[in-house]
Amino acid sequence: MDIPMTAPMDAAGDVAVHVRKLSFYYNQSQQALYDINMDIRRQKVTAFIGPSGCGKSTLLRCFNRMNDVILNTRMEGDILINGSDIYKEGVRLEALRKRVGMVFQRSNPFPMSIFDNIAFGPRMRGMKDKAVLGEIVERSLKQADLWKEVKDRLGKSALDLSGGQQQRLCIARTLANDPEIILMDEPASALDPISTAKIEETIQVLKEQYTIVIVTHNLQQAARCSDYTAFFYMGKLLEMNVTGRIFQKPSVKDTEDYITGKFG
Amino acid sequence: MAARNDYHRGFWAEGVPFIWISGMAVLVLLAIVIGFLGLIFAKGAGHFWPAPMAQVTLKSGSSVMGPVMETEAIPHAAATRSLFKIGNRDVYGLDFRWVDDAAVEKREYPPDAAVIERSEYGDMHGFIQALREGGAVTARAGPDFHPLLEKKIARAAHLKEEIKKAADDVEHAREPLAKLEVDIRLLEDGSEAGTPEAALKLEKLNAEYDALALKLGDAITVPEQRIESLRKELDAPTLEVALADGQVKTMPLKDVRAFYLPNRMGLSAKAGHYLCKVWDFLWTWPRESNTEGGVFPAIFGTVMMVFIMVVIGAPFGVMAALYMNEYAKPGFFLNLVRLGVNNLAGVPSIVFGIFGLGFFIYFIGGGIDRLFFTDKLPEPTYGTGGILWASLTLALLTVPVVVVATLEGLAAVPRANREGALALGSTKWQMLWNVVLPNSMPGILTGVILAISRATGEVAPLMITGVVKLVAELPVDAGWPFLHLDRKFMHLGFHIYDVGFQSPNVEAAKPMVYTTTGLLLVIVVTLNLVAILLRNRLRKTYKGAAL
Ligand SMILES: Nc1ncnc2c1ncn2[C@@H]1O[C@H](COP(=O)(O)OP(=O)(O)O)[C@@H](O)[C@H]1O
Ligand SMILES: [Mg+2]
Repeated sequence: MDIPMTAPMDAAGDVAVHVRKLSFYYNQSQQALYDINMDIRRQKVTAFIGPSGCGKSTLLRCFNRMNDVILNTRMEGDILINGSDIYKEGVRLEALRKRVGMVFQRSNPFPMSIFDNIAFGPRMRGMKDKAVLGEIVERSLKQADLWKEVKDRLGKSALDLSGGQQQRLCIARTLANDPEIILMDEPASALDPISTAKIEETIQVLKEQYTIVIVTHNLQQAARCSDYTAFFYMGKLLEMNVTGRIFQKPSVKDTEDYITGKFG
Repeated sequence: MAARNDYHRGFWAEGVPFIWISGMAVLVLLAIVIGFLGLIFAKGAGHFWPAPMAQVTLKSGSSVMGPVMETEAIPHAAATRSLFKIGNRDVYGLDFRWVDDAAVEKREYPPDAAVIERSEYGDMHGFIQALREGGAVTARAGPDFHPLLEKKIARAAHLKEEIKKAADDVEHAREPLAKLEVDIRLLEDGSEAGTPEAALKLEKLNAEYDALALKLGDAITVPEQRIESLRKELDAPTLEVALADGQVKTMPLKDVRAFYLPNRMGLSAKAGHYLCKVWDFLWTWPRESNTEGGVFPAIFGTVMMVFIMVVIGAPFGVMAALYMNEYAKPGFFLNLVRLGVNNLAGVPSIVFGIFGLGFFIYFIGGGIDRLFFTDKLPEPTYGTGGILWASLTLALLTVPVVVVATLEGLAAVPRANREGALALGSTKWQMLWNVVLPNSMPGILTGVILAISRATGEVAPLMITGVVKLVAELPVDAGWPFLHLDRKFMHLGFHIYDVGFQSPNVEAAKPMVYTTTGLLLVIVVTLNLVAILLRNRLRKTYKGAAL
């Protein structure tokens, strides 16, 4: 079984996230991830696939330390982002989460105006200049392909937007932080096909600038918009490779079974 | 098989009797509420309506006049009796009298029967006959008599105002003298009285006093003389009134506040009179040991107390809940605190009152007095009941409600919103302040609403922390420092108790009890409505949140 866990690096600077021997436990002893090793490439889209409950979200949440919020969790191993250990003592979570943004499965706009939602991150870091905030809001909304739809109602509540618009708002909100890496946990799973297509288009544009990790249930989606795909099964990373290869010639039997719909 | 199905769809399975019982429970509840409100407003609302004045001549020859308050069957007899409000307390001793209907010869409604509202002894009932000035009659009952009388009464009120102003002038002018007087008295009675130095100082002060008195001279005597002449004009006119039984009474016009002839009034005149009385009730001070006049200071005290309580208690409760829900480590100790807070709500309110007395008044208030008001001791400033201490006591009493409601509000904020804020790089505090707290505002306001309702109705703890039956001054006025939190205050709940059960004149106070209760209910509802409207507005803003 040849699992390219540590895909050969083209160049050292090519790896954005470097995961080494990562194991993760809920409630101190309930293991959710087993000895994960992987490299996530800069300015590429990496898709995490696998049956539900296999630990995709858990791993994703390790990258911005969102799991720290959950009590009684434990992690072993290392995660290096741009070569530095994010679990090292003295790492400021706020700074880390600014660099590593996250979009959740269910859109979660705050009950505020559209403008305030987008400006939330910069404001939390002390930005007060209305003109600068305005520029950030406009840029982020344009990047998330939402500007045209909302430019006349920035002061209106974000909760009045449609589901797809809300999710793109959440993407824009993350972009306003000017992150390096964007983590997306099944961002389109609650959306209709048209909204899903829009989000996928957005991802294609965003990958020019950002490193994107996307968890998805939708295999076509992974095939369409990712460069690399990682297949997880029962807390283990079974296979990771260039997307085309995973879908055409998976090297692990389980991957093939999953992709061909034999289980999952 | 069929029987089984029937059983599942039948009478018991569908819960028919229980639906009926629960429906009945609601009905009973509704009846209680409506009956209660109906009683209060029916008894209270009619109080200010000018009732027709009946004059009955009894078979014995005597005569009684006044509105009929109620008619009832005499126990164990086939007869009825009526309660007359006869007024003239100074003459008859009581202003209510039962009359056996069988003893009545005839009943009339004389058009000239007048109700004269006085500043003392309640209403006078009779026929106004003449206005005298210094013994001589200046006007007799006739066509232009009543307008003239009204003008005279207005004039008397104006004179009283002027006298008060002039008296203020005198006091103001005398201020430096009054200060010297205090110094002199201190020297005379002080510990060093009798020593040669003291005598010397005293002499100097006395000289200073005489010089100042001479210098001030006119500034004091001019207003004093003015008072004298105003008084003379005020005291001169008297009113001659014939009572129903033939007696003629003379009284100074300055004691008359107003008069009206109920039997001559049309519907619109009565309605106007009613509105005036309601207005007076809301905006004037009480008279006659609270059985007459208005309840303004009690309204003011109640609202202000609730206001201070909310301003102090709500943030306190919210902060406590925030810590408990967000920062404290879950475990035995936190559960203990939760249990304690929940049970605090069950402690009798009088216990809170006693705590307030011991802790706030004696300990903190006494401490403040010893530190900042030493010159006034042993007379306490903060070391005695006052609106601040009463509000704090009630804040303590209602804080559990706020804490519990806030805890619920915080728990209801979706986790997605919390994680969303954290994922954008906010600190925990920023997340709480910008997302979680605004989101749980409706829940917090629910707690505040409950706290207000509870606090407005509390009386027991207030009685020992600062409520009194009558105050001369409000806790807010134009005198520095404007907000006098050390002052005692009046409260509608206590007012009801005082008027209803401590009044020397129970019969006269009865309608006042209903009216004041109605007013208290209106205030509770109004305060609640304000909070509810606020909450609804917030709910609209945060409608995405699970509330
Ligand atoms: N907060 C949690 N507490 C305890 N167990 C959890 C928690 N979150 C996830 N798990 C468990 O960890 C495993 C992986 O979950 P998750 O990462 O959410 O899977 P996926 O996203 O691939 O569906 C599952 O077995 C799940 O039950
Ligand atoms: Mg998941």
